[in-house]
Amino acid sequence: MKIKSMLTCGLTASVLTGLLSFSFIGSAFAEWKSSSPVTVLSREEGSGTRGAFVELFDVLGLFQGKKADMTTADAQITNSTSVMLTTVAGDEYAIGYISLGALNDKVKAVKIDNILPSIENIQNGTYTISRPFNIAVNPKTQNAAAEDFIAFILSAEGQKLVEKAGYIPAAGQKEFVSAKPKGKAVVGGSSSVSPVMEKLLEAYKLVNPDADLELQVTDSTTGMISVINGNYDIGLASRELKVKELEQGLKPIVIAIDGIAVIVNKNNRVESLSKEAVKSIYSGDTKTWAEVLK
Amino acid sequence: MRPQAWNEKIMRGVFFAAASTSVLVVAFICIYLFHNGALALTKIGLWNFLAGTVWRPNIEIFGIFPMILGSIYVTLGAIIVGVPTGILTAVFMAFYCPQKLYRPLKIATDILAGIPSVVYGFFGLVVIVPLVRDFGQALGFGGNGNSIVTASLLLGIMILPTIISVTESALRAVPALYYEGAVALGASHEQSVFHVVLPAAKSGVLAGIVLGIGRAVGETMAVIMVAGNQARIPTDIFQGVRTLTANVVIEMGYAADLHREALIATGVVLFCFILMINLGLACINRKSMTKKGK
Amino acid sequence: MRSVWKIFQRYKNSPASVFLCIMVFGSALFTFGVLLYLIAHIVVQGLPALTFSTFAWEYSSENASVMPAVFNTIIITVLALVFAAPVGIFSAVYLVEYAEKNSKFVEAVRITTVTLAGIPSIIYGLFGMLFFVIHCGLGFSLLSGALTLSMMILPLLIRTTEEALLAVPDSYREGSFGLGAGKLRTIFKIILPASVPGIFAGIILAIGRIVGETAALMYTAGTVAQFPHSIMNSGRSLAIHMFTLANEGLYMDQAYAAAVVLLLLVVIINSFSYYLAKKLIRI
Repeated sequence: MKIKSMLTCGLTASVLTGLLSFSFIGSAFAEWKSSSPVTVLSREEGSGTRGAFVELFDVLGLFQGKKADMTTADAQITNSTSVMLTTVAGDEYAIGYISLGALNDKVKAVKIDNILPSIENIQNGTYTISRPFNIAVNPKTQNAAAEDFIAFILSAEGQKLVEKAGYIPAAGQKEFVSAKPKGKAVVGGSSSVSPVMEKLLEAYKLVNPDADLELQVTDSTTGMISVINGNYDIGLASRELKVKELEQGLKPIVIAIDGIAVIVNKNNRVESLSKEAVKSIYSGDTKTWAEVLK
Repeated sequence: MRPQAWNEKIMRGVFFAAASTSVLVVAFICIYLFHNGALALTKIGLWNFLAGTVWRPNIEIFGIFPMILGSIYVTLGAIIVGVPTGILTAVFMAFYCPQKLYRPLKIATDILAGIPSVVYGFFGLVVIVPLVRDFGQALGFGGNGNSIVTASLLLGIMILPTIISVTESALRAVPALYYEGAVALGASHEQSVFHVVLPAAKSGVLAGIVLGIGRAVGETMAVIMVAGNQARIPTDIFQGVRTLTANVVIEMGYAADLHREALIATGVVLFCFILMINLGLACINRKSMTKKGK
Repeated sequence: MRSVWKIFQRYKNSPASVFLCIMVFGSALFTFGVLLYLIAHIVVQGLPALTFSTFAWEYSSENASVMPAVFNTIIITVLALVFAAPVGIFSAVYLVEYAEKNSKFVEAVRITTVTLAGIPSIIYGLFGMLFFVIHCGLGFSLLSGALTLSMMILPLLIRTTEEALLAVPDSYREGSFGLGAGKLRTIFKIILPASVPGIFAGIILAIGRIVGETAALMYTAGTVAQFPHSIMNSGRSLAIHMFTLANEGLYMDQAYAAAVVLLLLVVIINSFSYYLAKKLIRI
């Protein structure tokens, strides 16, 4: 009995250490080789980030007579910013793109045509890869708390918070004067817009503690549908509104501009890419980093 | 009639109502799914939808054949990894485990069942993906780790608790007489367990496997983090795939109109698949039952 | 207890047995090795971010407190079990004790239950949103979430309870009937108590699914990070808390800390269920 359990424990321990050491050795000592194929990472079809990315880098072409997103079929697809970040941080040959507000120091943002993605560069117009963050309301339903909150977002105070969160203000020099309405309002939708919205809500509650505002983190489409059927008062979308959504009476308001950063692994030697190079990687014409570096 | 007899009647009704609930729930979900999905199927065409190999929602080409293949590959992989391991571990728990180790191990498997799939996903992304990448490159397959193998391994691990728990209780339910009889006839411990007790517990073991497969087919959050999600037919097992569930989850957030309906239709296809698997298993089960009867 | 050497001596005549024995130990090692590694991974990543402020009452974007989420998780788990456990257990009783073996109805229930088990959770989520949230007018609330989840765990409960009931030897039933007990009495006093361990195995699996679920809850219970005032309010469970923290990559450390709390919660809920099960058996 004793020997049996000791044996079990010992074997478990050895398997564990084996697993641990293998996974460490695996990546730590490899050197970055430019002959390696590029791991192309992309967001899912329909994602606001992808739509803007494809548009701005012109990864478009004709497919069966229609203008289409020509991102290579070999591109890995993810629907989450953090998976994109983690994969690029763990795969030395990966390239991906994320919202500028979510950029962290575990990956490297490459310059596009020698211009670093930053708030200043977007504001002075040199870095052009950006997209709007929208909120949408249904003009048919009236909600005093929601209207007051929107006024806060678009005011100088609200836009300052937008900038602090890493996004580019879209409007508003006006001072905010709250009408202090009471009541409940539900804000919900895109998970990309939610972090900044959370900050805005917290600040607004300090100004007007009487309003009961709720934040639902789902996705852009759920946000829009829920505003149409009255479940949300304010919908969040990280993409442009679809024609059908506009037809159903949604009114979009741009609350911020978000830059899109192209990211690579920290060990990657590439510092800057031209727009054409990014296009050729994403359309599948360039397969290895050596071709990119030429 | 005596009051007791009334009680019996009423409770019989209650039990029957309870059993009907599950049928009703499935019927409900069925109606919901088919109602939403049928529209897309008629617009796209059933054959184009099922056999089409191109998935480009932004120009309204919807072919889910690669995803059907992907689901089959990944599920098979998960079965190969998870089912034998699960059953053998259950045998270990029921017949080999030293008494002192039993409680902690039991608690551990229960924890395994409660870990959210997102955590499994990040575990897979940080630990299994690099392992598979190195392994695949050592074998000369290439690929960057987000592949069929990774997804199968991860899913195999995720279905372990279900299989272990159900199989173990099935094994424990076999009367001790069976085991004792076999040993008394001179069989070794293994022979008694594998040739006498395990076959006697077949129904329960099968139930565990079916529940496990269900979990594997329906699991998404973890798979989309490690499978690569390319919507094309993979040529080797170190390439990425997209499963049917991944297709639904990844794109649902931004999809609208026909795209959204096509995704729900994907859910319908998945539903039919699961139904087919279950009908098949029920057939096998019945056949073996009648054999036993003879 | 014999020593290892004696065990090996016993296998001299049966090489297949040796192989099987190695396979069994190998599988167990693999399972528990992976498990330990997984737990270690979570704890190592999560512990540094786990501080006192993680357990503050108020959630804010500066301090991602888990307390409201823990509270919501417990409420949703209890509610979902309250809805699903009686239905699940009673269905199984009907299938095993009342229905004719292998009748069309039993077959139908069996197939539908496994089919339910394989439906991806996002479909439950979308269905729950359409039916409970919008059609029934429950809104994004803990109640909608619990109802959706109870549909999701139903098959698991039915299937495991059914197996547990089937495992009760017929001699129990015969003995009880022989002593003059009615069918109901036999079921509640003899068969159900005898199958408590099996039923609880199912309940614990169900708890696992509830606690770990994200997709189905996101569209039904919502993601509000504060304490709810009633079950008609929206609230995020721990798994959703983790998911939303991790999703944008802004709060990864806090997400792992939430995962550690989640592990602890699973342990606590499970031990409590075991405790209850033991009490029940004694009755």
